[in-house]
Amino acid sequence: MKPADVALNFGTPSGSPRTSSDFEELNYPHHHTATSNSPTGSLGWTAVPRREEELPLPHYMSEDTARRRVPRAPAVDGGETFVAQDEKHPMDYDVYDDGGKDVYAKMKAARGPVGSGRLRRPPAPPPTTVGELIQQNLEHIPPIIYTLLACWTRFHKIGKSGNVIWDEAHFGKFGSHYLKREFYFDVHPPLGKMLVGLAGLLSGYDGSFDFKSGEAYPEHVPYTAMRVIMATFGVAMVPLGWYTAVELGMSWRACHLVALMVLFDVAWLCISRFILLDSMLLFFTFTTVFCLSKFHNQQYHSFSFDWWMWLAMTGISIGCVTSVKWVGLFVTALVGLYTIEDLWDKFGDLKMPVRDQIRHWGARIGCLIVLPILVYMASFKLHFLILNHSGPGDAQMSSLFQANLVGNDFASNPLDVAFGSKVTLKNMGWGGGLLHSHVQTYPVGSNQQQVTCYHYKDENNDWYITPRWGEPEPDAEGPIRFLQDGDVIRLRHAATTRNLHSHPIPAPVTKLNHEVSCYGNLTIGDEHDYWVVEVVDDIKRGKKNNVDKIHSLTTRLRFRHQVLGCYLRAANAILPQWGFKQVEVSCEKENNPGDVHTYWNVESHWNDRLPRGNTKFYRSPFLRDFWHLNVAMMTSNNALIPDPDKEDILASKPLDWPFLRLGLRMCGWGDNQTKYYLLGTPVIWWAGTTSLVVSLLVLAVYLIRMQRRYADMEPREWDHFIYVGKIAFFGWFLHYFPFMIMGRVTYVHHYLPTLYFSVLMFAHLVDHFVLTSKRFSEKTKWIVFGALSFTIFACFWWFRGLAFGMDGPINEHWGLRWRRLEYL
Amino acid sequence: MSGVQDVRQRNKGKGINRDASGPSSAVDYDDHNVAYLPSRSYIESFLNTEEASAAVVAILTIIAFFTRFYKINHPDQVVFDEVHFGKFASYYIRREYYFDVHPPLAKLLFGLAGWFVGYDGHFDFENIGDSYTENHVPYVGLRALPAILGSLTVPIVYAIMKECGYSTIIAAFSAIIILFDNAHVAQSRLILLDATLIFFLSLTMYSYVRFKKLRYQEFSPQWWGWLLATGTFMACTWASKVNGILTVVAVGVAVLIDLWDILDYKKGHSMQYFWKHFIARAAGLIALPLVIYLSVFWVHLAILSNTGPGDAFMSPSFQETLRGNELLMKSHEIRYYDTVTIKHKDTQVYLHSHPERYPLKYDDGRISSQGQQVTGYGHEDSNNQWQIIPTKALPETGRGRIVRHEDVIQLLHVNTGTVLMTHDVASPLMATNEEFTTWPKDDHSRYNDTLFHLRLSDAAPGEAWKSKSGHFRLIHVPTKVAMWSHPTQLPDWAFKQQEINGNKNANEKGAVWYVNEIVDSQDPDLKAKLEEVEMKEPKRLNFFKKFGELQLLMLQHNAGLTASHPYASGPINWPFLLSGISFWTQNEGQKQIYLIGNIIGWWASVGGICIYIGILGADLLARRRGLEPIPDDVRNRLWNSTGFFIIVWAVHYFPFYLMSRQLFIHHYLPSHVASALVAGSVLSFVLSETINTPVSAWGPSVKPRPTTYADHGVKAPVMVAVFAIAMFSLYLFISPLTYGTPGLTGEQVNARRLLSSWTLHFAAKESGNI
Repeated sequence: MKPADVALNFGTPSGSPRTSSDFEELNYPHHHTATSNSPTGSLGWTAVPRREEELPLPHYMSEDTARRRVPRAPAVDGGETFVAQDEKHPMDYDVYDDGGKDVYAKMKAARGPVGSGRLRRPPAPPPTTVGELIQQNLEHIPPIIYTLLACWTRFHKIGKSGNVIWDEAHFGKFGSHYLKREFYFDVHPPLGKMLVGLAGLLSGYDGSFDFKSGEAYPEHVPYTAMRVIMATFGVAMVPLGWYTAVELGMSWRACHLVALMVLFDVAWLCISRFILLDSMLLFFTFTTVFCLSKFHNQQYHSFSFDWWMWLAMTGISIGCVTSVKWVGLFVTALVGLYTIEDLWDKFGDLKMPVRDQIRHWGARIGCLIVLPILVYMASFKLHFLILNHSGPGDAQMSSLFQANLVGNDFASNPLDVAFGSKVTLKNMGWGGGLLHSHVQTYPVGSNQQQVTCYHYKDENNDWYITPRWGEPEPDAEGPIRFLQDGDVIRLRHAATTRNLHSHPIPAPVTKLNHEVSCYGNLTIGDEHDYWVVEVVDDIKRGKKNNVDKIHSLTTRLRFRHQVLGCYLRAANAILPQWGFKQVEVSCEKENNPGDVHTYWNVESHWNDRLPRGNTKFYRSPFLRDFWHLNVAMMTSNNALIPDPDKEDILASKPLDWPFLRLGLRMCGWGDNQTKYYLLGTPVIWWAGTTSLVVSLLVLAVYLIRMQRRYADMEPREWDHFIYVGKIAFFGWFLHYFPFMIMGRVTYVHHYLPTLYFSVLMFAHLVDHFVLTSKRFSEKTKWIVFGALSFTIFACFWWFRGLAFGMDGPINEHWGLRWRRLEYL
Repeated sequence: MSGVQDVRQRNKGKGINRDASGPSSAVDYDDHNVAYLPSRSYIESFLNTEEASAAVVAILTIIAFFTRFYKINHPDQVVFDEVHFGKFASYYIRREYYFDVHPPLAKLLFGLAGWFVGYDGHFDFENIGDSYTENHVPYVGLRALPAILGSLTVPIVYAIMKECGYSTIIAAFSAIIILFDNAHVAQSRLILLDATLIFFLSLTMYSYVRFKKLRYQEFSPQWWGWLLATGTFMACTWASKVNGILTVVAVGVAVLIDLWDILDYKKGHSMQYFWKHFIARAAGLIALPLVIYLSVFWVHLAILSNTGPGDAFMSPSFQETLRGNELLMKSHEIRYYDTVTIKHKDTQVYLHSHPERYPLKYDDGRISSQGQQVTGYGHEDSNNQWQIIPTKALPETGRGRIVRHEDVIQLLHVNTGTVLMTHDVASPLMATNEEFTTWPKDDHSRYNDTLFHLRLSDAAPGEAWKSKSGHFRLIHVPTKVAMWSHPTQLPDWAFKQQEINGNKNANEKGAVWYVNEIVDSQDPDLKAKLEEVEMKEPKRLNFFKKFGELQLLMLQHNAGLTASHPYASGPINWPFLLSGISFWTQNEGQKQIYLIGNIIGWWASVGGICIYIGILGADLLARRRGLEPIPDDVRNRLWNSTGFFIIVWAVHYFPFYLMSRQLFIHHYLPSHVASALVAGSVLSFVLSETINTPVSAWGPSVKPRPTTYADHGVKAPVMVAVFAIAMFSLYLFISPLTYGTPGLTGEQVNARRLLSSWTLHFAAKESGNI
């Protein structure tokens, strides 16, 4: 709409700037009086450029008045002047109509319906001719152009490198799993990866390629098509950026700035061009901000259709962004803060009936809490429905879940567990793994062999159930002795023949518990190897009393150390690097019968003498699987801590990001390869970060001046300044600060959603200080805008090779040498 | 108004029988502006007379001294961190330089106390459990200092509450929480810094409250006096222990809020007036504390003039200011063809080489050059000797033969006759770093790879390279890597010695080396010098340089205290007293000292904070809905006065969440004092409809307001007495853990384990049969 109006409305608001005296009477010191012209005539950026410097409220009221006129003069007004100055300005707002007594009351009312975002405009009359239709939609021309440009940047030479680039190795592979319907496990929620799978499906990929890092794509993998589909999300970022800026009430030049920065940032460009989750994460982050700003602009039309729609859209968007990566929780937090503030305001509105208060609360709870959770859960439901075959991620899930996967043989295990059986033991806590041991020893404590919980199938998970020392070993010919509640057993590790052992030495991580280790061998051992089997219950047969023999899969067991009285437990505490970041197993001194982390079940069970079972009993309930998988994801995510002994050249620290100290090599660096490097367009990153600092300083100055009663802005202007500033600053802060305190290893692409908010802040500040300022002439504004746009573009052009792919030896790209640190 | 009144009654009426509070309850509190409440309940008026107040504070102080001094001579052994702080006192008396992460004031006071009781500083406090009596240490004198300061904290807490306008009985309540607290008692009876810290913290709060009360008499002498007192005590807190900086922040926050109010246009002050206030505070709360803080360090450095165990932390130029320092005594200029041993600064290993070679293939499949190994070795050995070979023409004699900054040198390994080199081959352990090896000295085919640039730290051009003090980096000329080492052992083929490799980032910390000793020299003068040891006068260094260096090191080492400790605990555990620290144990008699607070007092405090936050929340919500359930003056008291306590509490508590260093429950003690004050205010709010007001001094610009009095009636003394008895009983019950005597049987220990998370020693086994 913006440029359209500029192009069309050459008219001058011809009336005197003093037509409306309402504001004159306000006791505003200094500044305001000097500039309090009629807000009526102000058309802001929609208006005539040369008048703009005189107009006090460049873009809120102006727009409104301008909009109001459209229906009144719906005919042809191309080139026609808007003359509406005689219109008494406050009449523009319905609330004003009954005012008129008290200036202050009027001011307060004025704060309301105008809002701090984009001004509302009444719907245009239905177009009667094609020309009118076009005219009414002229405002959409720039975003369309930007979208086309984005298509070019995003799709240009997208298939140039025929190798698996960077994390395509992961996400491509996960996409393949969906096509093959094999269960896998990953730390990210499934929505993004399902979309990758969908992209594969649409492009005719059969899921047969295993996406080894750096490998060349074979003929039959339509990687270009898949990348194009992923890049489409990246394309959509650009119009979203534009419309968000519009909704935030920025001036037209600022909208262009936002769109240009989104379009020309090399990092956003680069990350969108491959089969990765980030383009989707960014897309949904953008939609969330967009929906939120849309919703904000409906704030004085509560419970209207639009209001409900954008509230619900915000909720769905939140659900999607968190279903792509958990990083989406940060933008969720932004929406949460916004909502809390909004509700706080409503809470203070004494005129609002209680019924409305409750409706407001209910609407938020429904749309912003329940709806996103439903979306999140739906993506998992879909995930489970699609992945119904046994695959590499099985062992992360509960035994029952696995038993129901196609291709899994648990259900045909022998049912009754007996002495001499070889078994694997699954911890039944949320996210629990299989009891595991390996030849490596504890570097602390007893220095005996490590015992851990492991989430993958492995021979080191196998244990033999053997009787106490001195009792006869199970006889291959003799009667079978079944395992029962209260039996005392030794668990012998199949691979190393050592026995599961515990002793009063503090465990390595959970120091209050006893350490559990593997000790001795077939002949050496002591009474510290004895474990008492305690049956908790059986999923199939119910209470403990009904359980005579212990069954695999369904019987829930606890293992009590006979001597120490402690219970075998694994509760997602991660061992350091020496334990390969596996889950610690310890022996807990306190007896908490309700603690599921001390529950175990027999998962695989081998015993030649026993008949095969054939039970496909209980399905594992969805909610249980959902929660289990989420805990497992959380545990694995927490295990991604930097290894102090290993240098990860790809990793970077949060402090490196805002000023772009480091980038990230996305592929091999050989001379003959096409090389990609993840690095932002420096001016955009630097400008964004600087603007954040500046925003705080400016806020402090304004606050101090307000404390001294200098009125720099009208209330509405101030509201707008604060509203956009809050969205941008808190958005940035919430996306950045958590990484500082997170123990997890971090990479530069974690900053990409964060960058969006610094871009918004930059545009907002430029808008505030230059583009809508009354102090600068139209010419100056053009110059500033032109210079900024050109710098952004030039910088992008200089660095475009990073995203489009660089050929030849890297040293030949002299202009791209980054910060004297390394050749990219 | 009646609606409002209703709300008030609902809010306050809970559990309070208003008739019980005496005749004054007849006063319509809606009318809280009444000039004078004619009669407070008898007990209230009596307790608030000066005499009664003095008697109460006297009793509290006497009990405080008794609890802190009771059996202060037990145990006559080194307990917990006395290992450190006792030692530091010794160093002050011996005037030997030491290094510690904490600022020196509290330790200086210990030194002073030691000197005062005639301690000669001979004892080293090596291990927890070392006997004082056997070593003739006048430890009671040392322990008396924190005990006195800890005892005085109790009347100060009382005085803070009193100055804030609370009734005697409320002030006594807050003081009792500190008085009968086992954690405060245990911490005050030992040679530890916390008692000093808390003492100065409470004095800071007291002075600030006094200062705030004089706000209508601005710039009067008293006003200045309390302002400067706040600054002084704040500086003392800061100089006592490193977390005293939080006190500075807390006062800073309070002052900023204060200034923000002064700035308010509604107050009608001019900017000139504002700047006057601003400058006064800057002088009293920034400039003065800085001067005091610096003076403390000045005294510290002036006393510690001899060499001591802290030398090695400091830079060479700093070390040379210490009398008898090794650097000062044994630092010589190095000349070409000298044979030297070279040490790695961080890990203190020698640059070492031996005839064994790198294996051709490592376990991970990478290939080596199979050159001679260069490693870091921790012990003296002839294989540590290297000769410095020039790469330029030298004069026959004279100072031209001295090795200087920026020279290019070769290092000849004396025993194997090979020269040090590095090349673009991955090092055994780190694929990104270059392998260091040697090359036969007569084979010139790789001459270039054996050249190293000598880069001295902080050196002027042409500065001479000296042993001991000349820290340097060795930069490889062709590939620009720096010789670097890290504490990782090589496998068996290198006898588990330390890896040395070439690091591309020459500025890394691990790339600094120094010449430990000149073993042999061709220069006859130097040779002669090496023999003799003369006493040199220490050099001088600007105080600010020394201070800056020390301050930086303190920060670095403080952040570096990350090693895990069995009794370290996270901040979330503290307010609820979930875990303590075992200070000391003695198997004979099953005695132990376990730092744990009085659970009644701690839970009352944390409960007070929760209730306070609840009240504020409810107040905000109510006002948002246009209700004003709390009268204005009560509300102001809650927000401003109690708000200050909450700020102190929060500022001394929440920053610990961000710290990754090891944390202990005694870090919460300053916050605990603040929370006791909050608990007192909350109790007052709950028990009385009114408050004592005004408490601030009148000024010329203020129109007098009517006086009101709080009335807690008889219920407050009864409640506080019950509370005190409960506190005291529990205090007595836990006291064997606090005083370390008498010993306890297993069952008695179990009985005292009030929370399952306390890890006491000598507990009887509850299960099992070990």
